[in-house]
Amino acid sequence: MRKPPTLLKVLGIAAALAALIPVGYLFFRLGAGSEKAIEELLRPRTLELLFNTTLLVVSVTFTALVIGFLQAWLTARTNLGFGALFAVLATLPLAIPSYVMAFSFTATFPGVSGFLPSWLVLSLATSPYVFLAVSAALVRTDASSEEVARTLGLTKWQVLLRVTWPQVRPAATASSLLVALYTLSEFGAIAILRFDTFTRAIYNAYRLSFDRTAAAALAVVLVLLTLVVIWFERKYRGDYLSVSPASQKRVRISLGKAKPPAVTGLLLIAVVAVGIPLYSLINWSIIGSSTANLNQIMEALSGSVSLAVLAGVVITVFALAIALWIVRYPTKLGRFVELSVWANHALPAIVVALALIFLGANLLPWVYQTTALLIFAYVILFLPNALGTMATPIAQVPKSLEDVANSLGVKGNRSIFKVVLPIAAPGILAGAALVSLTVLKELPATLLLRPNGTETLAVRLWSSTEELAFAQAAPYALLLVVLGGLPALALNRQARKALSEVGK
Amino acid sequence: MLLQIKDLSLNYGEQVVLNKLNLDANQGELTAVLGASGAGKSTLLRLIAGFESPTSGEIFIDSKLVSNRKDVVAPEKRGVGIVPQDSALFSHLTVSQNIGFGLPKGSDARIKELLNLVGLSDYADRKPASLSGGQAQRVALARALAPRPKLILLDEPFSALDAELRARLREDVRRVLRAENATAILVTHDQEEALSLADKVAILRDGKIIQSGSPTEIYNSPVDLGIATFLGDSILVDGHVEDGKIITALGKITPLNTVSEGQVGVAAIRSENFYLQPNPSGDSEVIGRVFFGHDAVVEVQTPKLKIRARSNGPFAPEVGMKVTVWVRGAVNFYPSDKHN
Repeated sequence: MRKPPTLLKVLGIAAALAALIPVGYLFFRLGAGSEKAIEELLRPRTLELLFNTTLLVVSVTFTALVIGFLQAWLTARTNLGFGALFAVLATLPLAIPSYVMAFSFTATFPGVSGFLPSWLVLSLATSPYVFLAVSAALVRTDASSEEVARTLGLTKWQVLLRVTWPQVRPAATASSLLVALYTLSEFGAIAILRFDTFTRAIYNAYRLSFDRTAAAALAVVLVLLTLVVIWFERKYRGDYLSVSPASQKRVRISLGKAKPPAVTGLLLIAVVAVGIPLYSLINWSIIGSSTANLNQIMEALSGSVSLAVLAGVVITVFALAIALWIVRYPTKLGRFVELSVWANHALPAIVVALALIFLGANLLPWVYQTTALLIFAYVILFLPNALGTMATPIAQVPKSLEDVANSLGVKGNRSIFKVVLPIAAPGILAGAALVSLTVLKELPATLLLRPNGTETLAVRLWSSTEELAFAQAAPYALLLVVLGGLPALALNRQARKALSEVGK
Repeated sequence: MLLQIKDLSLNYGEQVVLNKLNLDANQGELTAVLGASGAGKSTLLRLIAGFESPTSGEIFIDSKLVSNRKDVVAPEKRGVGIVPQDSALFSHLTVSQNIGFGLPKGSDARIKELLNLVGLSDYADRKPASLSGGQAQRVALARALAPRPKLILLDEPFSALDAELRARLREDVRRVLRAENATAILVTHDQEEALSLADKVAILRDGKIIQSGSPTEIYNSPVDLGIATFLGDSILVDGHVEDGKIITALGKITPLNTVSEGQVGVAAIRSENFYLQPNPSGDSEVIGRVFFGHDAVVEVQTPKLKIRARSNGPFAPEVGMKVTVWVRGAVNFYPSDKHN
């Protein structure tokens, strides 16, 4: 049994403890001022927020599930035609941060606000998650069981209900619950479209009325809601069904008369989800180009890029240390570290930001409003996903290679540098790039925690939109899509896999 | 005649997959379609099941036209059951739910009967993920048989299993099909499987059935050199016909098929036709031996050529021994014009 190097343990334990600080502190603070907090929570407004948030989460989740499932089934299993094209169109909204999509809607239809546009934007922005998960499941599912069902007397539509759906249901459930978590923690799009949910209320309580207890109380309710969704996810995720590799040729189901409406529907979704944002961003960018302040844009760009790179490096170091630890040297302590880091994976960014503000303002005034605290927030928010993407390539390096390296004279754990990291490098680099791009697009934590004078693309887009200066905001939105969204989509392993398989 | 296939052709663009294929199967008969991989065996099954439409030709089931170029009766209306290569069980259903999938509600007795028949009564409530490969294939067979289809199609049902399991399952499948008096078409590339299991073997090559008949007929009288070398382990020896015998470098051999005087061609001698007589002054020498226990394949250098002989394991001569080579029984002779 190999022993983990001390450095890995130190980094891992540090990350695990740090991960527990923000929420722990939030609950502690609330406990200290509980009377005022309870009073705050008993106001009718809380009930309204609860209703709005639940309404949005349920409606978005359901809509994204329907859209994503139909897109996946139509492109993977029917004679729709242009499967590859429709798969790209279904995935493309991933390249547009949801608050950018929301911005493009307000800029195109000034004055839209409230539930309907929020529901529309978030449904369209999240349906790719369902599409990707379900099409991966469809590709992995043995189509010959669908053919067997035909010979046993089922029509093609009965097969869809009785065989295809049950087989992809675990993937559909898991991805739609991810959509629920995403919606629950969404801040930017909802705030731009002015629909009152917990995230927007927390931000307003803190920013506009400086009511910290109210903000903290609402944040705790949001965390509890998140826990409910996570509980649902755990309960209904189900085991991924064991499936055999996709077999031979499959017959595509003939849609018959349903084909024209299906094509129209998919095109319509693509027009709204991708066409309107692109048109709006380009149109407003052209309008704004004559008055654009190039210095400001460059300043925001360099601010975004330097934060993204810095955070990317820090997160990668921690993620690598923990991934190496848990994959190469499985121990109980390692499991604890992994769990502790994972505990934050669904935490709304606004909650983390708020907790760190309290922590900084009350206990550590010397880090308050510094880049260090912002980076710390990024680590807490994005370490779980980074860990996920980096553990995979490391786990794929056969353990026996290290033994071989040792037998050939490489000393002890130096085999990590000689063998494991070089082989896993492409996957690790892709993971690091993906984390940096996620940081680049981050809005709420950056908005609340950035040091005075630090500007980023997302922050600039936000403040210009608040002033309804759409022409001024558009270049930032465009840059966020081109520099953040599109490269992230290109690096998304699931998306690449789906696009290479679905069109076949 | 339960299944009748007439001049069935299928092209994918330029590529000809099936070319005027003809095949019949009688009620209660197990027909094995034997062919190399890529010969179009699975495609043939998909055509019979109604998943593909033919480019030309006709398929009749129970004297009813089910497929031609224009009309294909939908798979669910054909009364054809399939057992795919990878069993393709419905992974979200239990074993008995899988078997009952094609049955109306309340068919518990039939499900029980089939569970018994395939010997899986104790597994009724298991999920497919917990079954071994052989068990999964039994469930797939039971599921296909449950609605009492007119015809069962088996697509290389044993290929994913290991040798020992394969042999056992073969016996079981034969027994179950007999018990249900099912008519079945099995496609396989495994000649041992086809010969041991089927009532009738049909050989698929170049998109058509080039020979069909009982396993013994097929093995003993291959219609051409291609089938002769494909089936069993044959050595080809040049020869010509004189006085009704084949004259070869290994001596005079009795022809099995009809030959005419003066023909020049090739005799296909199976390894089991050779008899090796140990003889210190023999003109041939054992140069190699692969021992299998029950028998052995012995390689012998005769004065003119090398041969492979199948010998009883315990009596197989050792490498270096001198032997005399005899050809026992009659062999098939193929005149040159036929194999050129």
